[in-house]
Amino acid sequence: MNDRALQDLVIRALADAPFRRSPEWRQRALADPDRVEQFARFLARHYYFERIVHFFKYSAALSGITGRRPEAVLGQPSFDALRPALVLGSRDSARTVAALVVAHVKSGRPSAPIPYHADLLRYEESMMVVEAGPRVWRERENGERKTDDAAPQTVAGTELLDLTYDLPTVLPQLLRPWTAVPEAPVRPVRLIIARSRYGRVAVAKATDAIVSIMDLADGRKTLEDLAREAGLRPAELQATLQGLTELGAVRFSTGS
Amino acid sequence: MKVGAFYNPHLGRELAQASGIDHLAMADPPRADDPWWPKIKARYTLLLHDYLGQLSEPLDERSIQRARSLAELYHTPWVAEHFQCLHTEDGAYNLNYVFPPLYTEDFLARFVANANALKARLDQPLVMENIPGFFDVRHSQMAEPVWLRRFFEATQVGFLLDLPHVWLEAHYRGLQPDAWLAEFPLEHVVELHVAGVTEDPDLHGPWIAPAEPSDEMLAFAARAVARCPRARAVTLDAFSPGLGADVLLRSVGRIRAALS
Repeated sequence: MNDRALQDLVIRALADAPFRRSPEWRQRALADPDRVEQFARFLARHYYFERIVHFFKYSAALSGITGRRPEAVLGQPSFDALRPALVLGSRDSARTVAALVVAHVKSGRPSAPIPYHADLLRYEESMMVVEAGPRVWRERENGERKTDDAAPQTVAGTELLDLTYDLPTVLPQLLRPWTAVPEAPVRPVRLIIARSRYGRVAVAKATDAIVSIMDLADGRKTLEDLAREAGLRPAELQATLQGLTELGAVRFSTGS
Repeated sequence: MKVGAFYNPHLGRELAQASGIDHLAMADPPRADDPWWPKIKARYTLLLHDYLGQLSEPLDERSIQRARSLAELYHTPWVAEHFQCLHTEDGAYNLNYVFPPLYTEDFLARFVANANALKARLDQPLVMENIPGFFDVRHSQMAEPVWLRRFFEATQVGFLLDLPHVWLEAHYRGLQPDAWLAEFPLEHVVELHVAGVTEDPDLHGPWIAPAEPSDEMLAFAARAVARCPRARAVTLDAFSPGLGADVLLRSVGRIRAALS
């Protein structure tokens, strides 16, 4: 094993709690196991602190009403109990930690009604889960290129979220100073949440065309197949695919 | 000696009006909706201190162009990166926190080659910051200060000496901070970082925190600066949404007083 691979092993040990307990890691005896465990715990708290502060910032803005700061969950025994199973960056771990945050925030007794609170928490939870997963840190010299015969494919982890309230209208208001809880119109919206190859999470309102393509784009169907099965004109298909590709929800499979 | 801090966007108002701060280091690009950014940009010398990439691998063209564009936006006198290797080559695991490479010949060659390549693409000098290790990896072939000395001799890039990192390593190795500091190639230092440390519940010991530097840390900084003949700036290394303006402004004032 070369030095770079060995460094990767150390990084994995710090990020992946089950791997730290494995014979594969322990038998190498590369470092003091107590120190590694302590530093891994430190990293886990830091890792999820950053994500909770970022993705649950609207809940933080409402904490004066709910009495619950989202990141406070990291100081509770329930988070400590999760640590033996946490893998930093994994979607399963993100889902587990986000669910813990949601339960913590929901356990408050809001001093004023927040009708869209359940929608908001689902939105924040989805954002945190979608962000998880391996990402591209650097482009290879011959990076991915779209070719004419490439087939579009929905990116794993992309989520469609149906909400009862039109949350996008209220989110910016929550981050500005307010005295009365900002209101959101009761208006069903469907959002698409996706992540770029570089880890940037983006949200857009999902049209019927988007929902069809998300269902159908399996990496095998050609553009003609998609247009026919989704009932879209070529120009509409092209525009929707371009938007989805920029969002990170669709990428083109070249079959290689 | 210039004394500065990090730009904390939530303290934009206070920093736009503050006195006694010579420069601001930029850990993130300015947000498009930051109302204080135009004043900050007009008023301060800005130091590029963003995550550009880990130099265990060559930076790709996209990262280089990003670095160049931020350097131009800030008119930075130098560009900073870290001696870090925090994500796996395949991108599957990422610590999201600075973490040092193995101190081996192979990693030295990688960092030298990739720093030289980056330096050649920048219009400003490159400086590299030391990163603390909480534990030693047995595969390492040399001590960190030796590895750093060889790196700086091979590349002639500048050294951004993070003093709390040195202090912490000395603490966890049971060494005197001044003795450990003496091992580092101080003749290459261009900028120094000073910060507070607090007790961390997971590490059961001190670690860097967005807190005021102690008197001990400031005295350590004063002694260190005296041993760095090429040093031009000292920066309070505190960047956190929880940092208060009072802590930042008082800390910068105390650093300046300690160095006077």
